[in-house]
Amino acid sequence: MITVENLQKEYKLVKRDPGLKGAVKSLFHRQYETKKAVKGVDFTIGQGETVGYIGANGAGKSTTIKMLTGILTPSAGKVTVNGLVPYENRQENALSIGAVFGQRTQLFWDIPVRESFNLLKHIYEIPDQEFAETVSMFTEVLNLEPLLGVPVRQLSLGQKMRCELAAAFLHRPKVVYLDEPTIGLDIAVKVRIRKFIKEMNKIWGTTVLLTTHDMQDIEEICDRIIIIDEGRILYDGGLEEIKVQFGQKRVIHFDLPELDSPFILPAPLLGMAEVLPASEGETKVSLSFDHERVKSSFVISEMMNRYDIQDLTIADPKIESIVEELYNRREQGGTYEQVLANS
Amino acid sequence: MRRYAKLYWEFAKNQMKVMMEYRIDFIIGVLSVMLEQFASIFFIKVVFNHIEQINGWSFYEILFIYGIAATGRSIHHIFFDNLWTLGWQYIRPGQLDRLLIRPINPLFHIVADRLHQDGFGQLIIGLIILGTAIPQLDLAWGAVEIALLVVMIISSGMIFVAVNLFFATFSFWMIDSLPVVWAVFNLSDFARYPLTIYHKGIRTFLTWIIPYGFTAFYPAAYFIDKSGFRELALWTPAVALVCCVIAYSFWNRGLRSFASTGS
Ligand SMILES: Nc1ncnc2c1ncn2[C@@H]1O[C@H](COP(=O)(O)OP(=O)(O)OP(=O)(O)O)[C@@H](O)[C@H]1O
Ligand SMILES: [Mg+2]
Repeated sequence: MITVENLQKEYKLVKRDPGLKGAVKSLFHRQYETKKAVKGVDFTIGQGETVGYIGANGAGKSTTIKMLTGILTPSAGKVTVNGLVPYENRQENALSIGAVFGQRTQLFWDIPVRESFNLLKHIYEIPDQEFAETVSMFTEVLNLEPLLGVPVRQLSLGQKMRCELAAAFLHRPKVVYLDEPTIGLDIAVKVRIRKFIKEMNKIWGTTVLLTTHDMQDIEEICDRIIIIDEGRILYDGGLEEIKVQFGQKRVIHFDLPELDSPFILPAPLLGMAEVLPASEGETKVSLSFDHERVKSSFVISEMMNRYDIQDLTIADPKIESIVEELYNRREQGGTYEQVLANS
Repeated sequence: MRRYAKLYWEFAKNQMKVMMEYRIDFIIGVLSVMLEQFASIFFIKVVFNHIEQINGWSFYEILFIYGIAATGRSIHHIFFDNLWTLGWQYIRPGQLDRLLIRPINPLFHIVADRLHQDGFGQLIIGLIILGTAIPQLDLAWGAVEIALLVVMIISSGMIFVAVNLFFATFSFWMIDSLPVVWAVFNLSDFARYPLTIYHKGIRTFLTWIIPYGFTAFYPAAYFIDKSGFRELALWTPAVALVCCVIAYSFWNRGLRSFASTGS
């Protein structure tokens, strides 16, 4: 139902020398710089799928979502959603989609939540009966009752986000795009929101495309993940598959306060474990290894023989550490093909 | 069309509720606009205490022009005031994105987002001025004249709207075109006096470039025989229509540009 072919977007930025002089110069002689945010992305998403779209900051997630919703026109490539091209039939497409954009509100600022919903009812021409049912269901699942009479501007972030979610699903859209719906929320609200999204997907078969930096969201909501990095797809597949494919990789973080010379891998581990780039100072070292070939205990004991270890943590084979490892490898300078090949 | 009328009503109901919630603001807003208008009229009155006519126009004739301008402007002020805020309230903070994923016309959405209380003061003043001036003019008023006056006033309002929309649209390419919109809007003050008192260049400018002349002077001139502008005055609705078409096309261009640059 969503097909994306060779989707690309480049932003044109005005290049400007610093200072007032630069500003004046750019008035007369504009120089443009292009920034490729999305560099040829392909995927298809079927009705009812729940897809996590993840990647580092600036990877191009929001840009992709803006093209899928029709807000932005691609520089090249094609998108169809339910047979419509969103950026060509924006208003028609809008009828069957819902969206939440991180910190930006979709609701009407000055008026109470109840009235906001009511306006949306008219905007989307939702039949009375259906609207009443939906609102009462959402009120229960998201615990909106105490919020309905309050103007949106007086709500806390978590309260607002619950209302946002309700607004996005109010007209029972076929697809919902959620761009960082859990950003800045406490754990209780996150749990409620995840539950709500799962439930909507189950009862209405709503297709969900979700971006987030919280891997717990992905674990709980999504069946499939697409990892994007610097505008290209790094991985596209089931959540379970990625765990099987990458999950035998274990990462152990060692804290070596006495380390004064550059870290050298103990000889017995050569060729079996790999040193990941240090994140905090030089005294931390992370080793990645295939736990089907090497036992964790072996790695730890070899390290203990050679170094004075203050502390260590074994990363779970969770999506979090898999993604972290993919990012780390990427930072080491591999191209994305190499990253995949190495894994 | 009917759908949009109904939708507008739904938006307006909420606006009115908010207005009533802030009753004090409502009253102060209305009163301050009225006061401002009274001050300008008082100024004209003072001038006319010393002279009989300006360029052949009597006090009540000038008041009549003034009344049309005020009423026309109030249409713009009440219903289309949000156009002022296009840059800083919608485009810069990314609020326009929100409107673009709704199944309705985004311009309609922006306009319907606000019903401006202060405009009611303008409307009241405009009607009072018209009510004062008209009986003093040596005119025969029938149904046709009244209908025509209403058409002229609506056209006047739409010219204000079109000019503001046109210049507000520059916000798609600038940080915020508000200063430009403001500067242009202030030109309309000239058009509240008989254009014949100005240099020919200014007159041409206010007739054919930024047609504020059609917001008050020409429509009034239609009802005043000696003016010599009766025929030109009849073009007022056509001018309003052309202005709206141009401004709306320009707005659509702005939207397209937004869709390709994202800012
Ligand atoms: N309107 C814009 N004009 C110019 N460049 C932009 C614009 N929006 C985004 N970019 C650039 O495009 C790239 C991708 O941005 P995008 O917002 O899609 O990233 P993202 O994956 O959503 O990141 P995050 O996780 O931080 O939200 C970034 O390098 C960003 O600087
Ligand atoms: Mg983003």
